[in-house]
Parts: sequence; structure tokens; C-alpha cells
Amino acid sequence: MTVLNFCKKNLILTIGSIMLGILLFMTFFGEHLSFIDAELQEIDYLWDENKIPIAPPYEPSAQFPFGTDRDGRDMLSLIVMGAKETLLIILSITLIRYLLAIPLAYFAHRQWLGTNALLNWLNGFLSYVPTIIVVILLVTIPPLIMSPLRPYFVVLIIAIMEIGRVADMIKMEFQQISKREFVTSGNSVGVSSFRLLRRYYLPFIYNKLLISIVGDLGKVMFLLGQLGFLGVFVAQFFVQVDAGMFTFENTSNSWPTFLANSFKDIRGPVWIVFYPALAMTYVIFTFNMLGHGLQKIFR
Amino acid sequence: MVWEFIKSSLVFLIIVLAFVLLLLLPREMEIIHHGGLVFTADFPFTFDLYKEKIAAFIEHFRTEKGFGNNSMGVPILEEVPKLLLRDFTIIAPALLLSMGAGTLLGIVQFYFRDKVIGKVQAFFSWIFSSIPDFFLFIALQYLLIKLFYIGVPKFSLYGNDHWYNFLIPMIAITVFPLVHMVKFTSAALENEMGQDYLRTARSKGLTSLKILKHMIWNCLYSILNQTQFIMLYLLTSLPIMQKLASFQGAGYHLLTSIQEFDEPRALALMLPYLLMMFATIVLSKLLKYKLLPQKAGALQ
Repeated sequence: MTVLNFCKKNLILTIGSIMLGILLFMTFFGEHLSFIDAELQEIDYLWDENKIPIAPPYEPSAQFPFGTDRDGRDMLSLIVMGAKETLLIILSITLIRYLLAIPLAYFAHRQWLGTNALLNWLNGFLSYVPTIIVVILLVTIPPLIMSPLRPYFVVLIIAIMEIGRVADMIKMEFQQISKREFVTSGNSVGVSSFRLLRRYYLPFIYNKLLISIVGDLGKVMFLLGQLGFLGVFVAQFFVQVDAGMFTFENTSNSWPTFLANSFKDIRGPVWIVFYPALAMTYVIFTFNMLGHGLQKIFR
Repeated sequence: MVWEFIKSSLVFLIIVLAFVLLLLLPREMEIIHHGGLVFTADFPFTFDLYKEKIAAFIEHFRTEKGFGNNSMGVPILEEVPKLLLRDFTIIAPALLLSMGAGTLLGIVQFYFRDKVIGKVQAFFSWIFSSIPDFFLFIALQYLLIKLFYIGVPKFSLYGNDHWYNFLIPMIAITVFPLVHMVKFTSAALENEMGQDYLRTARSKGLTSLKILKHMIWNCLYSILNQTQFIMLYLLTSLPIMQKLASFQGAGYHLLTSIQEFDEPRALALMLPYLLMMFATIVLSKLLKYKLLPQKAGALQ
């Protein structure tokens, strides 16, 4: 009964958790479901009732609930199979961002080695120039393109993009905590800086961090979607397609890659872009709900 | 105030410089032919090359006496205002709607917060703030295409040949900032609750509408602070929306010129964007300075 009462009181959190549950179930067990084609079989053509072969992409129908892409692969299966990678990418971007932002915020708060000035400049620059333009300019730098570690670098760059905003937020929290008496007492006993951060500051912002990390997962998904439209993905490899012709080839099924040809698809087979974008919206929605629900609990 | 303006201008100049340096990082592909059908691609990246590129960039400005021509031979300075005008047809209404209507709706939502209307509005503003603009655009397109199938009169969905072409991208791009302002305004007003001056006002017998007026003046400071965020959001989403809608504005061409390594043109198209940000910052500072009462504690 108490569980039910809790659910009733925190309806948003409950709905958010259920949505997350569905998302995680489809991510990890989706490939075993009967209507998911884990092999992602390509179809060259199908016969219609007049015995005329028709080439893909196919519209959403009973056989393909979300339609197929231009290679005849079932969109629903593609989305389910790509979920693991997509979630891994947004999770790692967000976690790296916070792991870097917390020390940065602490150093800035303690005014060490000009970190405060660095943080202010970073924030100033990124509140002037649109983020995606900076990302495009940075991920096309040659040493990055040729590196086999490119995916990791791209994750790092996207993580760093909003580090200033996050660090600034954490710094404000630190500033508030530093006015409390127990911090003064800690200082007067001579606690080391690291211990001060770990034992005196952080425990007070754990719940705030959790809320903003969950909220950021949605934001990162949004940014990755935007980058997808511009053809910038985390997993991309450089290949030769013809004598003397080189391009980037997608090597993954993560959702943003389906948006790459949106420019063409939106005028014909809209479902190729619509359903991945819908999946992203679902993820953003889920994490926003969770964040909102958590905020209510911790208040 | 003058000092503030000079400071903002200096920051602006430094940011332009930083952007140019970022733009000029060598990123062009070099294909080497080894005879027969053997080719290798290389992306040379050395400091000397970087210096060379910067020198060439400066040289370009000296010889062309300005930005020069684009690849079609049209002077860039003639082309940019035309493209920018199209951008303004999206940005100006979007900005006005989100700052004006967003704030107003936020006040309405706050005023009716305990009634059903307020709760319904809060629910909807929450839902819409979770929908990414690109999905909204695609969903609108999909819906309209389906409607055309069942016989709704057709109209042009893409491009920029018709006067109404800016509408769909504008709607898609406005929803998030508008809803953000609604949420922000209502939250800011709720934060004001419990202040001493409200109790004084109430004890003097002011009507709740009059009290609301006082509260709005006090919140306007933080509301105006949001202008920069809204503008940045609009300028970030605009190029993508234009690309999706084939709306040939400055943002669309900015992306293409960056991807085609046409640096002078990219700079010519990016500069107005940076200037817009600069104008937003300076104007909102000016408004705050001229119009508003100093917020308690702001003088410290």
C-alpha cells in the first residue's frame, strides 16, 4: 500500500520510471522479441499484387510497422538495435561532462591558477557562438579525423561544450555551501582541500547533481540529434569509395545516423527520419519526466 | 554604463578573433596519387600550414578589398544582406513571440496557478518543453503531407519562393523558447511570493492585480536576463531548421560554406550572427539599466 501511495503522490516520477523501464527493456531484450529482426536483413525488392517488383523504401504497413529504410531494413528493428549504442553515447557524454565539471567548479570556487577566469571566458565564448558550429569546427580538425580514437574524441568534445554551464551551476552551489558554518569549522581544523570537497561539499549537492545529470541526458540527446542533421556522428570512418574519392561512412546504427539524409528523406519516405526523431523525443521526454519527478522528491 | 559598453565591445572583438582562429584551423583533404589506381588521402596539420592559412586569409582581404566574391562570382557583401533579410523573417517574430507572448503567458499561468486553467497550461508548457524542435518540424511536415493526401488544399512546404515559407520553420523554432519563457516567468513570479513588500501591499488593501504589477516589475530583471539564452537558442537551431526546410537563409549558407571550406564567406555569414548576439546583450543591459528598479542586493 505504501508503494501505491508513493506512486500516487509522485505520479510524474512513476510515469517517468515506467517509460525508462520500457526503454531499457527494449534496449537490452528487444532483439529477442519476435517482431524484431536482429539480423537487420536487407530486402532488394518485394512483389506487389500485380507481380511488379517494388524497390525499398517501403511505407509503414502491417509487415513493417515503422516502414523500412532505403536498404529495405525494418526501421523498428533498426531503432531497437541502435538503442544500446545511442544510450551509451549520451550516458558517457553526460558522465564525462560532470566528472570534469566538478573539479573545475571546485578549482574555480577556490580561485586556483586562474580557473575562475578560464571558466568565465569559456562561458562567455559559448554564450556567444552557437554550440553546434563550434562542434562542427572542432570535429573536422585533421588529427581527429584520422585518429582511430576519433569516437572517443568526439564524445569528449561534445562533453566539453557545455562544461562551462555545468561548472558554473556547481560553483554557485559551492559558493552557497561555503558560507555555512561547518565549512568554516572544517577549514579551521585544517582539512585538506580534497577532503573538504569530498566530505564537506559534495554530500550536500548529490541530489542536485542527480537531478541535473538526468536532465542533461535529454539535452545531450537533443544536441546529438541536431548534429545528426548536419552529418556529424560519433562513429564514422574514413573510407575510399572510388579511385581518388574519399568520404565518411557510417559504421553504426545509432539514431542520429538515420537523420543524415533527412534532407532527401523528408521529401519522400518521411518515416525514415520521423521514427528515429520520435525515438529521440521519447528519450528526451523520459529523462525530463524523471528529472522533474526527482526534483519533487528532493525538494 | 559607458565602461560596460566598452567592456562588452572588447569581449565581442576577442570572440570574433577566437572564432576566426578556430575557423582557419587547416582541415582540407589532400589526395596523393601514387600511380595506377593507388590513392591515399591525407589531412596535413602542422603549425606552418596554419600560419600559411592565416596569412592567405589576410592576403585575401587585402587583394579583394573586402570579402570578395562567392563561388558564383557574386560579391559576398551583396549576397549577405539578402540572405540575412530572410533570416530576420524567422528570427524577429520568433524572438518577439517568445519574449512577449512567452512572458505574458507566464504571467497568466502564475495568476491562475491554483485554478484548472493554470494547471492545464502548466501541463502543456511542460510537455512542449520536452519536444525537440526538429521533431516538431518533421511531425508537422508528415502531418501536412498526410492532410494533402486526403484533400486539404496543397501549399508549398519547402524552399523560400513563397511569402509564407518562413511560417513552418518559425513555428517549429519558436515553441521551445516560448515555453521556456512561460515556465521561467511563472517560476520567477512564484519565487517572489513571501517577500515582505507583498505583505505590506496586501495589508494596504491593494487588489491582487495591482500587486501582480509590482511583482512583474521586480521580476523583469531576471526575465530580461533570459534574452541572451533565447537568442542563442534561436541562432543555434536556425541553420538546422533552414537546412531541413531548404529555406535559403544565412544559416543555411553558413553551414554549407563551413563544410566547403569557404572561410571568408563563412566569416561574412557568421559575423551578423555574432553581431546579433552582441546587440542582444547590449540592448538587454541598456533596458535593465534604464527601465528597472535596482533589485534588492543587486548593488553589492
